[in-house]
Parts: sequence; C-alpha cells; structure tokens
Amino acid sequence: MPKWLFTILVFAKISIRRYFRDKLAIFFTVLFPLIFLVVFGSFSKNNDVSFHIGLINQSHSQFAQKFVSDTKSNKMFKIDPQVSNLSEAKSKMSRGEIDATLVLPPGFGEIKDNSYPSGQAVIYYDENSIPAAQTLKSVLQGQFEAINTSLVKVQMPFNVVSKSTNTQGLSKLDYTVSGLIGFSIIGLGIFGPVNYFPLMKRQGVLRRLHITPLRVWQFFVSSVLSNAVIGLFSIGIMIAVASSPLFHFKIVGNYLELAVFIVFGILTIFGIGLAIGGWAKNENQAAPLANIVVFPMLFLSGTFFPRYAMPEWLQHVTTFLPLTPIIDGIRMIATEGKHLTDIGPQIGLTALWAIVIYAIAFRVFRWE
Amino acid sequence: MAGTILEVKNLQKSYGDKKAVNGISFQVKKGETFGILGPNGAGKTTTLEMIETLRPIDGGSVVLDGVNVADEPQKIRYMIGVQTQSTAFMDKVKLTELLEQQAAAYGEKTDVKQLLADVNLTEKADSYVEDLSGGQKQRFSIAAALVHKPKVFFLDEPTTGLDPQARRRLWELVQQLQKRDVTVILTTHYMEEAEELCDRVAIMDEGKIVALDSPKNLIRQLLGRGFKKQRRVEQADLEDVFIDITGKKLGN
Repeated sequence: MPKWLFTILVFAKISIRRYFRDKLAIFFTVLFPLIFLVVFGSFSKNNDVSFHIGLINQSHSQFAQKFVSDTKSNKMFKIDPQVSNLSEAKSKMSRGEIDATLVLPPGFGEIKDNSYPSGQAVIYYDENSIPAAQTLKSVLQGQFEAINTSLVKVQMPFNVVSKSTNTQGLSKLDYTVSGLIGFSIIGLGIFGPVNYFPLMKRQGVLRRLHITPLRVWQFFVSSVLSNAVIGLFSIGIMIAVASSPLFHFKIVGNYLELAVFIVFGILTIFGIGLAIGGWAKNENQAAPLANIVVFPMLFLSGTFFPRYAMPEWLQHVTTFLPLTPIIDGIRMIATEGKHLTDIGPQIGLTALWAIVIYAIAFRVFRWE
Repeated sequence: MAGTILEVKNLQKSYGDKKAVNGISFQVKKGETFGILGPNGAGKTTTLEMIETLRPIDGGSVVLDGVNVADEPQKIRYMIGVQTQSTAFMDKVKLTELLEQQAAAYGEKTDVKQLLADVNLTEKADSYVEDLSGGQKQRFSIAAALVHKPKVFFLDEPTTGLDPQARRRLWELVQQLQKRDVTVILTTHYMEEAEELCDRVAIMDEGKIVALDSPKNLIRQLLGRGFKKQRRVEQADLEDVFIDITGKKLGN
C-alpha cells in the first residue's frame, strides 16, 4: 500500500471509531433525523382524508340510507356530524370548517314508475372551495355511474379506462424520505465540521498535524471517507425505519446506485462544512456563516417541503442550490427506479458544485 | 561533539511595525540540548515556530542538517519532532490510537507499546487523553512527538503549570533523549530547568539574543563582574523540602 493511502486510511479509521464513541454525535446524526421522519411521516400518512363535508339527508328511502352509510365509510370524505340543516351548513362553509355540503332532497332514491330508485343529489359549495366541490362532484358522479350500470343494463358505446403507467406512483412520503436524507447529509456534512474544526483549532489538534508532513488533501480525503461511512450508516438506519411497517416506504431502485449517489452527495455537501470550518478561526466565525449557507437549502431544496409546492419562479431559482440535485437524484433512484445514467443533469450539477466548493475549501483552509 | 545540526542566520520576523525576532543568529550542535530563555514576548516562541516551518520566515535563513527550512519545509517536517500543547488531542480516542494516527501522518507504523513504556504510560494504553493527569498528558505529548524518531526535538515551555514531581519526571525524559543523541531545543521560564538540562542557553530580550553560552560560563562571567547575591544561599531550598517529604513518586 502506498504511504499516502495508508495515512488516509488510518486517519479515517480512527475518526470513524471516535464517532461511535460519541453519544451526542450519534444522537444528532441518527436519532434527530428519525424524529423528523416520525413527525413528517405521520403528516403524510393522513393524506387519505381530503374533504370535510356536511351531509343532509331529507329522504326516507332505503336507497338514501344506504347511500349515506356508503359515503360515511368512504375515506375521501370526513362527514361533519353537527350539520343537520342547510343554514347551519352554510355558516360552517363560510367559516371554512367544511368544504361542501351534499343534500339528498325528499324523495331521493324512492322507487317510482320505472321500478328502480332514482333521484338527484345537490352539492352546495362556497366560492372559496370550488376545487373541493368539483372533486366531490366527480367522485359522486363515479359512484352514481357504478350504481346506474348495476340498475340499468346498457352497453355504453364509448367508455374510458384509466391505467397507471407508473406502478410506483409517488406519494408524499417518498418526497419526505428523500428530503430527510438531504437533511441528514446537511447535518452531518455541515453542522458537524463547522463545530469540530474550530474546536480542533482551539485545542491545537490541527497545529499538531500541521507540524507533521500530513498534506491538506490527505486530511480532506480521510475526512470525506469517514464522513461517507458515518453518513451511509445513519441514512441506512433511517431508510430501514422508513421501510418498516410503520411507514411502508419502498425503495424500488438499485441499492448500490443509491449508495453511490448518496456518497457523492455527502462528498459535495461535506465540502461546504470543510470550507467553513477550515476557514473559521473560531466557533463564533463559523456558526453564522454556516447558518447563512444552510438555511436556504434547508427550506428551499426540498428537505422539509417538496419543491413542487413552490411558486414556479422559486422552483427555477432553487433548482441550482447544491442540495436540490442531490435530493432530486436520491428520490429518482430510490422511488422512481431510475438509474445513474438517467439522472445526468443531477449528477452534472452536483459535480459542478463539488468542484467549486472544494476549490474554495482548499484555498481558505488554515491549520490554526 | 560532532558537527552543527542547526544553523540560524540573521533570522527576522515582524508583526506590523513590531520586530518580534530581530536578526538573531546561533548554531546548535548535534546531540546538544539548547535552551532559549527570556521574558514573555521576547520572541522565543516565534523563533521556534519559524524553525518548525509553522511560520513564514521574513528574513535570514535557517538550515537544519543541510536542509533549508524555507525551501524544503516538507523535508524538515520528517526530521523534527515538536512537543505540542497537552490539549492537542481529540477526545474519545485511545492513547494507542492517537500514536498510531500520529505515526500515520508520517506514513509509518510505530511501536506503540515501546513508546508508551518510554514515557511510563503503559497501563494507560486504552485510556483517553482527557482521563490523564497534567503530567501524564505532558509525557504523552512527548511520546506522540517521537513516533517518527526525529533528529531534532523541540519543547516550548514544557513544564509550565506542572507540579515539581511531574517536572522532574519530564526532565528525566529529556535526559533520556540526550542519551539517545537526539538534539533538543527548548524554551523555558525556569532558570533551574535551564541549568539542569541545557548544555548551552541563549537569552533573548526584545527579539534579540543578549547572551549565549553554557549556564556555568554565564554564571562565572556574572560572578567575574563582581556580582553578589543579596540573600544568603542555603544548602537546600523549599522545593527540596517538598520533594523530600512528598517523595519523588513517578506516575500519577
């Protein structure tokens, strides 16, 4: 083994061992992201209930009773039990407590001359909740159509069937998990070195290394190496928890490709920590700068909030933050089953950032 | 003694208008123990740091065993060992691992057991530095600086803050180095330390060397100028009493 490699491996080995003895570091890199996963994961689980509606049944028919109980068991709706008449419903709608009100008028579902039940349901809605009313209408229409075809046997000349092209359709959890992996990478790669580099300077650890023939690049490579191992460890735990029956997260892509891309992301983001921590003379210099750099990425790169929910102009701007292509790439491999060859733009942008970041980090590094 | 190992010529360093080191010259012979004395701010530490490649040299030259420090700092780093602050080690890393890492910085493997035995820390091999006493830390930092068997060894105020026993234990370590023919260059505030350890001392003041000779000669010259100490000299002093009563225990 060449001497330079031996040096790097020994340094990396010892800092990995040190990490596993540091309970505080383990808390912040493993447990902390898990807490976020539990919080954000449970948000995205309650996705099914989309609409709060009022339901007023003025009919006494058997069909209407059955229709009400069917609607109650539909996960799309949550029915407000307090609504019993239209004026109550209107005031609740105006306060935004319910999105729409479904009224089954008198005689709805009664069997008339043509021997099967019929009727017309009415949806009342507020100007503020037009999309909710439209969705409710189309859902009910679907429900009625199914009932209609079971009652009246007719062959429809035209019909339409929807087929999913993507069997792994993205859920909110998929965005949450890839965002939290990004959060992990930031925590480990920026907040870590920004704290311990100034500390090592204050203690004289770096000065002692400066006296030896150790090169800056050897020190950097060994730090990246240990960071990558620790990062894979903590992210692995997070993915394991997310994949548990608790959250049902599923990785459809190739694990090796995912690991390779995550390591690439860790390398890039860790460079930011190296640059700030390596430049700063003390903690007071490092912390504010780290916050300035981290916060835009924390909120705009899709860590906590998916970027698709942002206004378009903001999406364009945030595309170029260093963490954005990393989170996008992770999601594309993990949940969309893409390969490294499919995510060229993400790899290219990340590589560009890596070059810029390390050029700065090497220039500003100081041992003391 | 054999030839010169360190040659400092007209060495200079300024911080702004202040000349921290103002054109000093001296030579150190192979195997010698050389002391640099002086009050705080005299330029002792700056001088050492320039020789150790830690600080750029403003003027003059330093040649160590035929290698110019300014031209080939990387070569110099393989030849020198520097005792650093006793805090200069990461926490939660065992002594053996710290030595392994220190040696790896030179691309070498080292005999960790022997190094720890040399500084009487064998039973602390699996401890962390933060669990050592002040004297033990100081000894460990010497062991760490010796992993690559340097030719020249630097100590900057090695016994500041140590109790008398720990100080004497450290002196013994330095004397062991002398027996192994390692050239030792140290700075100190304590005159008895310089007298005990150094073959020759340079006294610095305001960036200049104001005297350079063996401790004995310096004292002889002073007496030659008709100096008389005010106080009557006792055959023992309070430190001797302290050492006698508490015993010169090693370790702790």
